[in-house]
Amino acid sequence: MADHITVNSAPAAAVPAPRKRSSGRLMILSFLSPTLLILIFMVAYPIFSLVYYSFFNFSALRPAVAMKPVGLGNYAFLLSDPDLWQRFVFTGKFVALCVTLQMLIGIFVGYRLQKNFRGRDVIFTALMMPMMLSPVVVGFLWRYMFNSEWGVINYLATTIGLEKIDWLGQTNAALFAAAAADTWMWTPFIILLATAAFRGIPDTIYEAAEVDGASPAYTFFTITLPMSAPVLFIALILRLIDSFKQYDLFFALTGGGPGSSTETVSFAVAKTAFSYFYTGEASALAVVLLVIIIGLSMILVRHLNKMGERF
Amino acid sequence: MSRTARMRYMTSTFIAAAFLAAPGISQAETTLTFVWHAGTCADALVEIAKDYPDKSVKIVPALVPYGPEWHNKIASEFAIKGDAFDFAMWDSQSTAEFAGGGHAVRINDIFATSNYLKPEIFPAASLSRYGEYPDGSGEFYGLPANQDAYGLMYRKDLFEDPKEKRAFKDKYGYELAVPQTYQQAKDIAAFFTRPEKGLYGWGQMGGREYDFATTASNSFLWSFGGELYNPKTYEVKGYLDSPASIDGVQAYVDMFKFGPPGSGNWGFDEVNAAFQQGQLAMAMQWFYFNGSNADPKVNKFADRTAFGVLPGAVGRDKLFRRQFSVGGQGMGINKYSKKLPELTKFMEWYFQPEQQARYAKVCQTGLKAVLESPQWQGLNSYNRQFSVALQYLNDYWHLPEYPVLLDQLQEEISNAVSGAKTVKQALSDAAEKHERTLKRAGYEIKRGDSVPDVPDQLISPVGVKDIAAVD
Amino acid sequence: MSRSRQSGIDLAARWFFLALLAVYTLYNLGPILWLLISSFKSRMDLFSMPPKLIFTPDFSGYESVFGIGSAKNSASAYGVFDALTNSVIVSTAGTALAVFLGTLAGYVCSRFNFIGKGDFMFFVLSTRMLPPVAVLVFYHLMFAELGLADTRLGLILVAVFANIGLATWIMKGFFDGVPKEVEQIAIVSGYTRMYAFLHLVLPMVKGGIAATAGFCFIFAWNEFAFASILTTTAAKTLPVKISAASGATGIEWTQICAAGVVLIIPVLVFFYLIRKHLLMGMTFGVLGRR
Repeated sequence: MADHITVNSAPAAAVPAPRKRSSGRLMILSFLSPTLLILIFMVAYPIFSLVYYSFFNFSALRPAVAMKPVGLGNYAFLLSDPDLWQRFVFTGKFVALCVTLQMLIGIFVGYRLQKNFRGRDVIFTALMMPMMLSPVVVGFLWRYMFNSEWGVINYLATTIGLEKIDWLGQTNAALFAAAAADTWMWTPFIILLATAAFRGIPDTIYEAAEVDGASPAYTFFTITLPMSAPVLFIALILRLIDSFKQYDLFFALTGGGPGSSTETVSFAVAKTAFSYFYTGEASALAVVLLVIIIGLSMILVRHLNKMGERF
Repeated sequence: MSRTARMRYMTSTFIAAAFLAAPGISQAETTLTFVWHAGTCADALVEIAKDYPDKSVKIVPALVPYGPEWHNKIASEFAIKGDAFDFAMWDSQSTAEFAGGGHAVRINDIFATSNYLKPEIFPAASLSRYGEYPDGSGEFYGLPANQDAYGLMYRKDLFEDPKEKRAFKDKYGYELAVPQTYQQAKDIAAFFTRPEKGLYGWGQMGGREYDFATTASNSFLWSFGGELYNPKTYEVKGYLDSPASIDGVQAYVDMFKFGPPGSGNWGFDEVNAAFQQGQLAMAMQWFYFNGSNADPKVNKFADRTAFGVLPGAVGRDKLFRRQFSVGGQGMGINKYSKKLPELTKFMEWYFQPEQQARYAKVCQTGLKAVLESPQWQGLNSYNRQFSVALQYLNDYWHLPEYPVLLDQLQEEISNAVSGAKTVKQALSDAAEKHERTLKRAGYEIKRGDSVPDVPDQLISPVGVKDIAAVD
Repeated sequence: MSRSRQSGIDLAARWFFLALLAVYTLYNLGPILWLLISSFKSRMDLFSMPPKLIFTPDFSGYESVFGIGSAKNSASAYGVFDALTNSVIVSTAGTALAVFLGTLAGYVCSRFNFIGKGDFMFFVLSTRMLPPVAVLVFYHLMFAELGLADTRLGLILVAVFANIGLATWIMKGFFDGVPKEVEQIAIVSGYTRMYAFLHLVLPMVKGGIAATAGFCFIFAWNEFAFASILTTTAAKTLPVKISAASGATGIEWTQICAAGVVLIIPVLVFFYLIRKHLLMGMTFGVLGRR
């Protein structure tokens, strides 16, 4: 059916007959308003408070200490702290490493899983398991496995002749350890979406390419990837946003150490907000983090929209 | 599905959801909720509370994992002035923060009106340690719920083995015995460090999380005559980074040489695990864990394990000091709880000797009547040492800014342990950060005259000329 | 290229990719197996080196989780079945609502262009960007004021709020894969837009709905930060309840491992039930399935 009808890019609501136009608008309104209402209800007060208190020297635990408005004081204090930039760099390294690995592995495995074979759905469900585990348990599990004395990973390393590595006591090793754990946990997310995206590409297109003598590699890069790009891109954006928020893992694996070298920005926010209870300062830091994530996402979303327009 | 059917479905779903959302059938009884970290002590409290004679009152535990979450849960509830819990056990160091913020009930008021609850039923030192804020004010905001101290555990089979004793005497020139100073501990640790046999001399915490590293490093620091700060003038520079403090922390960092590789970021759990596997000859560990470390079901070497008091040190001024970290929790009452009368009655029952004797079987009570009873010392193999240890305790800053100061010190000590910074640099950076924190919090730092190399002489001197041995 | 050489390279490539897949499967499932094995070890066996594969099973971990047997008097297992109920109710309701609302919003954003659509989509996405810790205190205050603290309804709202962004964006992605012609033909044939949506388009995105439901259920089930602060006793969820694993011996590793296994089972069951829909991907109905 799709082959014989030219794509009509005008929005369907512009099609005549007043009945349909109003039903379109009614549909938009009724389908969107519950979501909008719930989100505004849930987000309004906290976001407002976050920005509001970021301009104050305020601690929710010690309100007796006079709440002083400090304007941009919190921001100035934070942005002039060299430790903070070090945390951003570390977070950036972690995010880049994780998202890259997860996308590459996820797309690869998803590609392999698109064809039906015996037992595929059981294997597929099994592969989803790391994602299903509670993040608290994941942190502890990998901490246990990476333990330099009793951990199974160092044990396996010694069996193939390597020396025991102090995974969690050194910054760079810890970065890789955390990336290994995060990738382990979230690659299934990409696999799921990638598989769905690949399976949506009709066979007829592949058959046509085969008839033309295209190799599998060529087909992948010119047909499979571009046609599944929108869903893959959404997966990328979602993973990017989520890995910026990661701190449970570092908390369980290293506690942010040695020193503070494995603290992500999220970790610093958590520390400032809860251990220190410096509500004002934590809010300012959260706002900074939010601005960066929003900025990055905007760039990606704009790219995504351009991709969509091509179709 | 037709539109009307869908609407009906949605409505009934929402009604069902609202019904399901109801928190539960409310009962005629009163519930007293408490927050604590999960463990045998919380289990004991709940178990004992089951026998509370007033059956219309129910004690409900709301347990959290040990660590920052424990502090966060309590702090968050206080921040919103909520009454989700009525009383809570928090780490002794947090008393200043919570009491200082005005969130804990002043126990003096309860002492005044209660017939049984009086300051005298607790040892003065314990009451002060777990409840007094500010220091020396006589204002109490908590009662001793579980006393704890840092201690020493060691393999008595190794120490009593005649072959080992002879070899040690030959090599070092004095008898092999429980170390009285950290210098002796170092010799003994070096002696017992035999990596080929899987044995190491000394196990201690170095972890970045919570208070792991600093609990240990402070014990060294204080014993060498160092101080964290000057409570009267709020000076940190010159105290935290004094030569005596540096001596202490350096001794602490050096001891990692005698621990298994990777022990630099250990917490109490890893110390326990290593000792239970027979990897350690000596270890620094909380008395709290001695119960399970003496249990053969948990510790392969339980029958060969003995408990002692941590060593002291001879400082650079040739004086001997023995000081180490206090632990344990106090029981504080949520000021915003609406059940103070019922809670007071429960506490009057709970702190009776009968209940506290039951509690003492698995945890450490703070009730004088039980602590002074003849049976208490014989309850297990370490209570005697515990009562000795109580004389040598020292604590972190009793300031509301404690969590910030702790985290900053933890960071720098962790840097020193990993070798990223020298001890001198780490302590000096920590002092810098501390003073900045105190200034931002509004404290005025009165810079005094020069500070002695051994600040302990200035603050509350505990140095003595001769090594005061304990066993 | 001669056919035999082509197939030779193909064969080598195929074996290479199979090997990679095998390595990944090992990496993926190995730790899970390790978790399962560890959950049956006694604490002593957990730390023995070299790691034991053969040992006498010890159920103390599971006993601690459920408060039975050796952990009969454990206070931390007090109310574990209430917590389980809470988790099931909150996760199911939260997932259902999030998927429902996300599907509707995703559809509309896929089909129509209206003023503020881009802003709406971005706003919805942005709700996911904030680290919960930054706003926990404010939520706590807000919920306490509204009487939602320690209630299931409160947690359901949190679950919905946390997952609507994900649901909307994923569903929009899947709806974008269904050609607009489908509705247009239906409308031209005299059906309403709603009919087209319900009976033609929705069935085509069943895979997307399944995937979205799966993700939302995982996030709702494992949600920790909000649950631990906003609930104390009545509405406590299972992950919060059984993570309080620190006891007389230190960190209760056996309990954590057992808790991990117990917690994953409902999610596994859920995924197993929807597995056929997960693998349907996007179908075009008449265009044939693979």
